[in-house]
Amino acid sequence: MADLFGPLVTAFTLPFMARALVVLLALSLVAGIVGVLVNLRSLEFISDGLTHSVFPGIAIGFVWGGREGLFVGAMIAAVLAAIVLTVITRRAVSGDAAIAIVFTAMFSIGILVVSRQTNYAGQLEQLLFGRLLTVTAAEVTQTLVICAIALLLVGLTLKQQVFRAFDRTAIAAAGYRPVLLDLVLNVAIALVVVAASSAVGNLLVLAVLIVPGAVARLITVRLWALFPLAAGFAALCAWVGLTLGFEASVTAGIDLPSGATVVLVLVAGYLLVLLGRLAVDRMRRPAQPATPPQPESVTA
Amino acid sequence: MPAPLALRVSGASFAYAQRDALTGIDFDLHAGEAVALIGPNGSGKSTLLKGILGLIQQTSGTVEVLGQPAAPAGSIGYVPQTDELDPEFPVSLEQVVMMGRYRELGWLRLPGKKDRTAVAAALETVGLGRLSKTRFGELSGGQQQRGLLARAVAAGPRLLLLDEPFNGLDQSNRDALVGTVERLKADGVAVLVSTHDLELARAVCERVLLLNGSQVAFGPRESVLTLDNVQRTFHEVGVEMDQHTLVVPGHEGH
Repeated sequence: MADLFGPLVTAFTLPFMARALVVLLALSLVAGIVGVLVNLRSLEFISDGLTHSVFPGIAIGFVWGGREGLFVGAMIAAVLAAIVLTVITRRAVSGDAAIAIVFTAMFSIGILVVSRQTNYAGQLEQLLFGRLLTVTAAEVTQTLVICAIALLLVGLTLKQQVFRAFDRTAIAAAGYRPVLLDLVLNVAIALVVVAASSAVGNLLVLAVLIVPGAVARLITVRLWALFPLAAGFAALCAWVGLTLGFEASVTAGIDLPSGATVVLVLVAGYLLVLLGRLAVDRMRRPAQPATPPQPESVTA
Repeated sequence: MPAPLALRVSGASFAYAQRDALTGIDFDLHAGEAVALIGPNGSGKSTLLKGILGLIQQTSGTVEVLGQPAAPAGSIGYVPQTDELDPEFPVSLEQVVMMGRYRELGWLRLPGKKDRTAVAAALETVGLGRLSKTRFGELSGGQQQRGLLARAVAAGPRLLLLDEPFNGLDQSNRDALVGTVERLKADGVAVLVSTHDLELARAVCERVLLLNGSQVAFGPRESVLTLDNVQRTFHEVGVEMDQHTLVVPGHEGH
């Protein structure tokens, strides 16, 4: 047993592995909680839009100020995108088309900016797929701060966000401004995207945001259990994913990109839970035909 | 001495996207009284309720709630139609009713004993105390409607707006809902209820407002629910009347 579980601890005695773990655990906590709201509000497509629109910020920040400029650029793009998005979804009759147009355009701008760089392919790869194992101590701090802000935004409005997700008209009638709640949530999503971009990469952020919330929905229908479940699931997958990548590299000499490994563990976890859910549903179903079908009992 | 005014709407018009959806609204509502808002589908019943709540644009006239031009926060309870809600949403009946307490709790405080007591009392008022832990989406349509009424009640409003609360309800849920409205009126709550069911308007409402894009008539139900008025209100939708045989006032000797 020690052989099996040992690496889950020993791998993280190495400083670069420890930094990666800290970043991912912070991300798991915030993405889990924000992700449940994304799930309850069905904001998956909007979240995808946000990942695309943060990319030019990352690219411009990177070209302009190197790795230090990256976070600044990403933060500016994130907040701008969240504001634009809130306005679009409020005004447009069909929000989806507008989101798709604006945010693919933003993504293209990002690619154009990066393409001006000499080491184009290498830079682009880092931005799109992350560089989890080379994050610096300073970047860890930046990530923690961004995660803390996102957590604060969502934490302070959590009751109202759930209310708004359940019943938009009633929360407006209760005197709240839904558009402000939307703005707060969109900014929080955008901040998660920023924090996760440098770790798992811009293209894989979506998995971190969406899979944990979806898993929690499969496990429980108890509202306040969703949030710790999602965060806990994300943290567990991050831990296992990092260990797996490390072990593959050390023992088998296979160099797995860590961000993608973590995302695949998340998806594998989702599939496991989904299978479990289907099995449980199947076991419960045979009990139903014992009661007569509704229409017959009505006419009888 | 007449009961204090809970709502006064004078010469008001409301608009969606700059286009007038409802014009010429003039009526009032006292504490402990219920007014029925009657008209065919699309006649502006929901528009008027949303206009009073300030959710859509008011283009003329005035709306005063409890004597103030802007509704004091939390003074209006609103019960929307349940078909706008996601039946899969992972929330229990009790948690839905607790949402009615959020306004008072503010951003930071978590629900305490006082809030749980209010929620339990509201659930008892609508007769759903036993089902508090049930997932909201698993309740029948009528129970969901009563659950949303409990949510509004838990906030302790002085004015209650109900949007088609009796749609698709079976007899037992109708009775429970009528009983709840009667109890709230006895406690001094003013109730404005939209419906196209005249039978229910007769059961709980003292006065009636007939609506069809604009105000057709307003006053005590006996003098307003005349054949002429009802025909003017429902003139383009005879089908609506067929569902409610009590509609024709001639039957009752008017």
